[in-house]
Amino acid sequence: MSYNVYNVYMHFPVLAIMTLFVGAFCVTLAGKHEKVRNVIAGCAVLISFTLLALLVKPVMIDGNIITYWMGNWEPVEGYAIGIAIEVDALSLFFGLLITIAVACSCFYSYQYMKQDDARGSYFTLYLMLSGGVLGIVLSGDLFNIYVMLEVMTFAAVGLTAFRTWNPNAREAAFKYLVVGSIGSTCALLGTALVYAQCHTLNLAQISAILPGNLNPTTILAFALLFAGFGCKSFMFPFHPIAADAHGAAPSSVSVLISGVFTKTGVYGIIRVCYFLFRSMGLTSVQTMLVFIGCLSMFVCVTMALNQHDFKRLLAFHSISQIGYILTSLGLCTALGIAGGLYHAINHTLFKGLLFLTAGSVLYATGTTYLEKLGGLARKMPQTTALFLIGAFSISGIPPFNGFYSKWIIYQATFEKAAGGSIGYALVTVVCVVTSVLTLASFIKVGHSVFFGQANPELGNVKDPPLGMRVPMWILATLCVLTGLFPDLMLRYIIGPATAAVLNSVGYIDAAMGAGYAEAHLADPSLLAAPQLISIGAWQPASWLVLFVIVLLAVFLCSLLSRGNSARGLESDAKHAVFFGGERAEYSHISGGDLFWGFKHNLRGYLGFMSRVHTGVTNDYVLWGVTATAVIIAYCFVTM
Amino acid sequence: MKKNWKRDDLIVRSLADSYLPIALILGFYVILHGNISPGGGFQGGVLAASGVLLLYLGYGFRGIATALNMERMHRLEAIGAIAYVLFAMLGIFAGYNFCRNILWNSGEIGDLWSAGTISLMNYAVGFKVLTGVGFLLLLIINLLSTEPGHEHDGTIPTTELEEGGDAE
Repeated sequence: MSYNVYNVYMHFPVLAIMTLFVGAFCVTLAGKHEKVRNVIAGCAVLISFTLLALLVKPVMIDGNIITYWMGNWEPVEGYAIGIAIEVDALSLFFGLLITIAVACSCFYSYQYMKQDDARGSYFTLYLMLSGGVLGIVLSGDLFNIYVMLEVMTFAAVGLTAFRTWNPNAREAAFKYLVVGSIGSTCALLGTALVYAQCHTLNLAQISAILPGNLNPTTILAFALLFAGFGCKSFMFPFHPIAADAHGAAPSSVSVLISGVFTKTGVYGIIRVCYFLFRSMGLTSVQTMLVFIGCLSMFVCVTMALNQHDFKRLLAFHSISQIGYILTSLGLCTALGIAGGLYHAINHTLFKGLLFLTAGSVLYATGTTYLEKLGGLARKMPQTTALFLIGAFSISGIPPFNGFYSKWIIYQATFEKAAGGSIGYALVTVVCVVTSVLTLASFIKVGHSVFFGQANPELGNVKDPPLGMRVPMWILATLCVLTGLFPDLMLRYIIGPATAAVLNSVGYIDAAMGAGYAEAHLADPSLLAAPQLISIGAWQPASWLVLFVIVLLAVFLCSLLSRGNSARGLESDAKHAVFFGGERAEYSHISGGDLFWGFKHNLRGYLGFMSRVHTGVTNDYVLWGVTATAVIIAYCFVTM
Repeated sequence: MKKNWKRDDLIVRSLADSYLPIALILGFYVILHGNISPGGGFQGGVLAASGVLLLYLGYGFRGIATALNMERMHRLEAIGAIAYVLFAMLGIFAGYNFCRNILWNSGEIGDLWSAGTISLMNYAVGFKVLTGVGFLLLLIINLLSTEPGHEHDGTIPTTELEEGGDAE
C-alpha cells in the first residue's frame, strides 16, 4: 500500500464539495429562470458524482489515501496546523452513496416540485445540504466537520419547512431545529474538549494522540461526540423528530434526510469510536452501541406497525434500519463492520426508492394516508413494481440487496455469540424479529395502498411522468444489482471500506507522515487488521435457478388447472351470495386493521409506545437530554 | 401602541444620517485590515450591514425600499460566495492546492496589501456577509412591516399625520 497519489486526483475531493456549494449560489443567481436552475443543479450533482466516481480506482482498488492540505499548509514538526481533506476508502464509500442518492433525488424533484410554489430557494437549500453532507464525510478536520454539520442541519430544517402552507411542516421543522441543536451543541462541546486535550483538530493527529489516554475530560468528550453524532443519525431517543420531519418534508427531501443525513451520524460514530478514541475495543462501548442499535431497531419497527401515514411509516423504518447499522458496527469484528457498511449503502438505495414511490403516490393522489388509498396497482403499475422492489429489499427477501446485508449482520452477531459473549445470540433474535416485523408492515402498506379494493374517489390517477420514474428505476436497478453481485460489492466497495475502518494507522501515517502512528500511539491494540472471513455466503446464481424452476412450476400448474376450475365466476361473483346478487359495496380494509389480531394482543405495549410519543417538543428534548446524560454517566462508570 | 402616536424623526433621522457613514467606514476599515488586525471579512461585513438598520431607523421602510433592492442584494450575496470560491481556486489553477496564496510576495508584512490572494478572499467574504446580513435585516424588516397596524402595501407609516393618514 502506498500513500503517494497522482496529482490530478488530489484536487477531486475538494472540487466535489465546492461544485455543490458553487451550484447552490449559482441557482440563486439564476433567479426566476426555472430551466436554468434545474440545469445548474443537475450539472452540480453530476459533476460531484463523477469526481468521486473517478476516485474509486486510486482509493478503493489501489488502496491509496488522499490527503489534501488546504493552501499547502502541511504539518510542521509533527503538528497539523492546516486544514486537511482526507479521503480513505471509508470516506469515499460514504461519499459515493451520498452523491448517488443526491443525484437521483435531484432529477426526481424536477417534476415532483412543480406542484409547489416559491421553488426558487429549493435547489439552493438542496445543494447546500448535499455539500454539507459531502463536506462531513470527506473532511479530515474535526471543527470543519462540526461546521458542515451545522450547514447540513440548517439546510435540512429549511427544506423540512419548505411547504410552509402546511402547519405540520412548520411544527416538524421547529422540533427538528430544537432537538437537532442538542446534537450540534454536544458535538461542539466534545470538539472543544478534544481540542483542549490534544491542541489539534486534525482527525489523523487526534487519532494518534488520544487513544489510550482516557482521563475524565476525554471520556466526557467521547460521550458528547457520541451523543452528538447519534442525534444526527436519529438513534433511539432522538427518533421521533425524524418521523415528523419525513412526514412533512417533500419526498425528494425525505430521501436526503433518511438516506444521506443519517449516514453522516453513522460516519461520525465510526470516526469517533474507531479512529479518534479507538474505544471500540472496550466491551462497554460495544455493548452501548449494540444496545442502542437494538433499541432503535425494535422500538421503531413497532412504532411503524402503528402508523397510518405512508411516509411516517417509512420514517420509522428508516431509523429501524439505522439500528441495524449501529448494531452491526458495534460488534467490532470485520464481518460486523462489513455488514454495517453494506447495510448502509443498501439502506440509502431502498429507502430512497421507497420514499420516491411514496412521493409518486402523493403526487398522483394528493395523500399518503393509508386509509384513503387502495388498489393503485392497476392504475400505477410501474410505481407498484418499484414499491415491491423496495419493500422486498428492506424486508430482506433473497434476490434483493437487503437480504445479503442482513445475512451478514446475523452471521456477525451469531459469530460474536459463538465466540463466548452469549448475550449476542439475543441480538441475532432481535434482528430477525425486526426483519419479520418489517416485512409485516410492508405487507400492510402494500395491501392498503397498492392492492386491495380500489378507492372509488381515486378515479383517474396514473403513473408519474417519465422524469420521476427514471430516477426510481435507477435506484431499483441498483437495489437488484447490489443484491445479485454481493461478491463484487464485497471485493471492490465494502472490503476496502471495512479495511479502512480497521486501518487507523494508515489513516494517521497518510496525513502526518510515515511512522507517526508507531511513534505516538500509546495503545497498540487493534493495530492488526482482522481478516474478513465470511462463514458462508449465498449464491445468487443457484438461488435464481431455483426461483425460475419454482416459477415455471407455478406457471405450469396454473396453466393446467385453467380449464376446469373457476369457470364462469365473475370477478365479484364469490361475494354475490352475501349481497343477494347485488354488486359488492366498496369496503376498504384499512392499513391499521390488517394485523388487528397481532396488534390487539400487543395492545399494552403498542398503546404505551403511542402514548409516550406525544409529539410535544418539550418531551422530545427531555428524551434527548436524558439520553445524553445517561450516555455520559455510562461512559464515566464503565470506561 | 396608541394610534395617534407620531414618530418624531428629526433626531433619529439626523443621527442616522451621521452614523451611517461612520458605520460603513468602520465596516470597510475592518474588512480591508482583515489581514493585519483583529476582525476580518465577517466582522466587517456585519458592521457595514448595520447601515441597513440605520437607514431603516432614519427613513422607515420607504427609505429602504427606495434605496435598496432586495432581489439584487440576494444575488450579490451569491456573487460574493462564488467570488470567494474562485479566488480560492486560483491556487489550483496555479498548480498548488485549494485556498493557496499565489500572490505571496506582495508588499511588506504589516502593509495593507501584503496578503495576496488571502486579502481577495477576505474581501469576498466581507462582501458576502455585508449583502447576506443586509438581506437578512431586510427580510426581518419586511416581516415587521406586514404586522397589523401598518399600511396595506407593507410600508411603515412613519409620518402618518403629515400625510393625512387615517389617524384618529
